[in-house]
Amino acid sequence: MKKWEPLAWVGPAVLLIAAVVIWPVVEMIRSSFLEISRFGVVRGSAGTANYVKLFGERVFGDVMVRSVIWVVAVVALTVLISLALAQLFNQKFPGRKVARWALIAPWAASVLMTAIVFRWMLDPEVGIINVIRWDLGTFVQNTFGIEPSSLGLLSAMGGEAADQLGHASTSFPWLIFVAVFVSVPFTTYALLAGLATIPADVYEAARMDGAGKFRTYWSITLPLLRPALTVAALINVMNVFNSFPIIWAMTKGGPEYDTTTTTIFMYILKGANIGESAAMSVVNFGMVIVLTLIFLRVSRWKQEVA
Amino acid sequence: MDHPPDEKAVQTVNKKFVGGAVLAVATMLTLASCGSGSSTGTQGGGETKAAEGGQVTLKMVAADYGDGPGAANSGEGFWKSVVDEFQKANPNIKVEVQVINWNDIDKQVATMVQNGQPPDILQTGDYSGFVKDGLLHKVEEIVSPNVQQDLLTKFADFGKVDGTSYGLPFVSSARALFYNKELFEKAGITEAPKTWDELKAAAEKLKASGVSQPFGLPLGQEEAQGESFLWMLGNGGGYKDASGKWAINSAQNVETFQYIKGLVDAGLTTPNPGTKDRKTVWEDFAAGKVGMANGGPMSIPIFDKGAVKDKYGVVAIPGKTGPLDTTLGVMDWIMAFNKNNHGEEIKKFFDFFYTGPAAEKIVDLYKLLPVTNGGIQKLSGDEKLKPFLDALPNASFYPFQDPKWSDVNTQIKQTIGGAVSGDPAAVLGELQKVAEAG
Repeated sequence: MKKWEPLAWVGPAVLLIAAVVIWPVVEMIRSSFLEISRFGVVRGSAGTANYVKLFGERVFGDVMVRSVIWVVAVVALTVLISLALAQLFNQKFPGRKVARWALIAPWAASVLMTAIVFRWMLDPEVGIINVIRWDLGTFVQNTFGIEPSSLGLLSAMGGEAADQLGHASTSFPWLIFVAVFVSVPFTTYALLAGLATIPADVYEAARMDGAGKFRTYWSITLPLLRPALTVAALINVMNVFNSFPIIWAMTKGGPEYDTTTTTIFMYILKGANIGESAAMSVVNFGMVIVLTLIFLRVSRWKQEVA
Repeated sequence: MDHPPDEKAVQTVNKKFVGGAVLAVATMLTLASCGSGSSTGTQGGGETKAAEGGQVTLKMVAADYGDGPGAANSGEGFWKSVVDEFQKANPNIKVEVQVINWNDIDKQVATMVQNGQPPDILQTGDYSGFVKDGLLHKVEEIVSPNVQQDLLTKFADFGKVDGTSYGLPFVSSARALFYNKELFEKAGITEAPKTWDELKAAAEKLKASGVSQPFGLPLGQEEAQGESFLWMLGNGGGYKDASGKWAINSAQNVETFQYIKGLVDAGLTTPNPGTKDRKTVWEDFAAGKVGMANGGPMSIPIFDKGAVKDKYGVVAIPGKTGPLDTTLGVMDWIMAFNKNNHGEEIKKFFDFFYTGPAAEKIVDLYKLLPVTNGGIQKLSGDEKLKPFLDALPNASFYPFQDPKWSDVNTQIKQTIGGAVSGDPAAVLGELQKVAEAG
C-alpha cells in the first residue's frame, strides 16, 4: 500500500498532462492520417496521402529552411542583446529602476499589437519610419547633394523603395527585428535573475588572482550564468519556432510564401486542407523536438558547472 | 513569444484566487447539470420551437460592408437596427449577429464549422464550399416562394449546386474604373483610358508628374481574385473557358499577366501588388495618391470621405483593345446551416429581410446593388448608380458553383501576386493544377 502512496500525489498532475498535452498530440497525429473536408467533416482515412501532398508542395523545402533561419537568427540576436542588457542593468546607475521598468514595455504589450504598430510605421505612403527616411533623404539631397537611395533613404513616398514589407529581402529582417524586440525583455530578466545568483566572493577571488574584466566575464560570469542562459534560450527556441502573430500581422507570410514559416504554412494549409495542415503540425512538432535536442546537446545542459 | 510569467507571481496569484477557482468549478458543475437537463428535455419533447412558446436564438455571422467597428456605417449598427425591428415583430426569436471583417470572415467561419459550432445564418462571399459536406439548408426550406421568385434569375442560378439551390443572393456589385480627375489634369491627360495601351500611356504620364501609384493594383489576399478577373476579362479570358473547363493558364490570361507585369516592373502600379489589399489601395485613392483604380459602388462612400470628393470620374474598365462590355458581377450570399434545425425561424428572418425595408436599406447604405427585380426597379432613378445597374445584366461571375472554387480561390489569394513579380505562366499553371486536382 505504502508503495502506491506517491501515486496519489503525482496522479492528478499525470492526468492533467495526459489530458492537455498527450491527448492533443495523439489527436494531431491521428488527424494527419485522415481525409478531412475544409470544414472539418471527416471523410475517412487518407493513409499517408496528406504527407505525400505536404512533402510534394513546391514551397515545402523553402518553408522548412526559412523556419530554421528564423529561429536561429531571432534566438541568437535575442540572447546576445540580452546578455549585454542584463550586464548593463546589473550595474548601479541613476535611473536604473526606470530603465528596468521601461524594458518591460515590449513584453507587456500584446505581440499582435506590436506587430500591427510596426506594420503601420512601415506603410509605404504614410508610415512614420518612411516619413523619417524621406525627410532625411530630402535633407542629404539638399545639403550634400547625395542621392538618398545610396544611403538607404527615400526621395519619394509610396514607391517600391518605401515598401519594405512588400519584399521578402527587406521584410524578413524587419520580422526578425520585431521578434527580437518582443523577446529581449523576458530573456534579459531571466539572465538578470541568473546574474543575481552569482556570489560576490567568486568575483573577489578572481580579482585577487588578477583576472581582467574580459577574463572574469568569460571564466566566471558566463559559466555560472549557464543554467539561466540555457533555460532562457530554450524557451525562446520553442516560442520563436511556433511564433505566429508577428509574421501574420505584418506580411501574412507573403508575398506568396516568401516569408512563410512552418507555423504560418500550417495555418494557410488549414484554409484548404485540414489533413495536410495536421501533417504540417506533426512535422512542426518533430522539428521543435529535434531543435530542442540539438540545442541541449550543444549547450551540454546536464554537465555540472565545476 | 508570450513568455510565461515568473513562478513567484503565479503562486501569489494562485493563493489569492483559490477561492475564486473553487467558485468557478462549482459554477461549471451547476451549468453542466443544467445543460444535461435541457438536452434530455429535447430528446423527450422534440426540438423546442418558437411556436411552442420557447425562445429560439439564431446565431448569425455577417461580413462588414462598412468601415469597421465604431464607424457610423458599421455592420454592427446596420444589423442591430434590422434585428431590433425583427425581434419586435417576432418576440420569440432572438438573433445574435457577429460582424466580421472581410479579411478574416472565411477563416473564422471555417474555424467555427471545424469546431462543430457553425452559425445558423451566414452572410459572406461564398456558399459553395459548405455544400459538399451537406451543411446547408436548401433555399426552399428557408425562404417563401414569392421571395425566391423575385430574385434575379441569373443570380439565383448561381446559388445552385447540381440543380439544387443552397445560396441566396444577398447583394451584388459591379466594377468600373475610377480615376482621379485632378491628377489626370496635372499630368496632361485629357481622356480616361479605354485600351491597355492608353492605360499604360496615362500611367506613364502620371508617374512623370510625380504620382506614386499611377494605377492602384491590389493583388493581396483581400480580393486578388476580383482584381485578377477584371484584367482577365479585358483580354477575353477568365477562370473558365466557354465550355466551362478551368482555363486559368490560358494563353489570353498569361498574356494579360505579362502585360500587368510590365506595368509593375515599370513602377506604374502600387509597389509589390501581391502584398497590398484592396482596402489599402482604396484608402490611398481616397487620399489622392492613386491615379486610377478599379472600384465599385461600395468604394464611392470611401472616396467621398477622402481628399478626392467630387474630383474623380467613373468609366468602363479598359480592355486590351477597347472598354469592357462586361464587368465582374460580385454577388454575396446568405445561407443557413442545418445543424441546429432552425429552418422555420430562419425562414421568418429571411422573409422579413427580403420583403421589408432592410434589403433596400443595405443597398442604400453601402452603395451595393440589389439582387431582386423589385429592388432594381426601386433604384432605377439613381443617376450615380446607373452605370453599374446597366452593367449588371451583362456581368460575368466567378465560377462559384464549382465546388473546387473555394480551394482555387484560397490559392489565388495567396499566390497570384507572384504572377506579376515572377513568371506569369508558371504561377497560373500552378493555379490550374489546383483547380484540376482531385
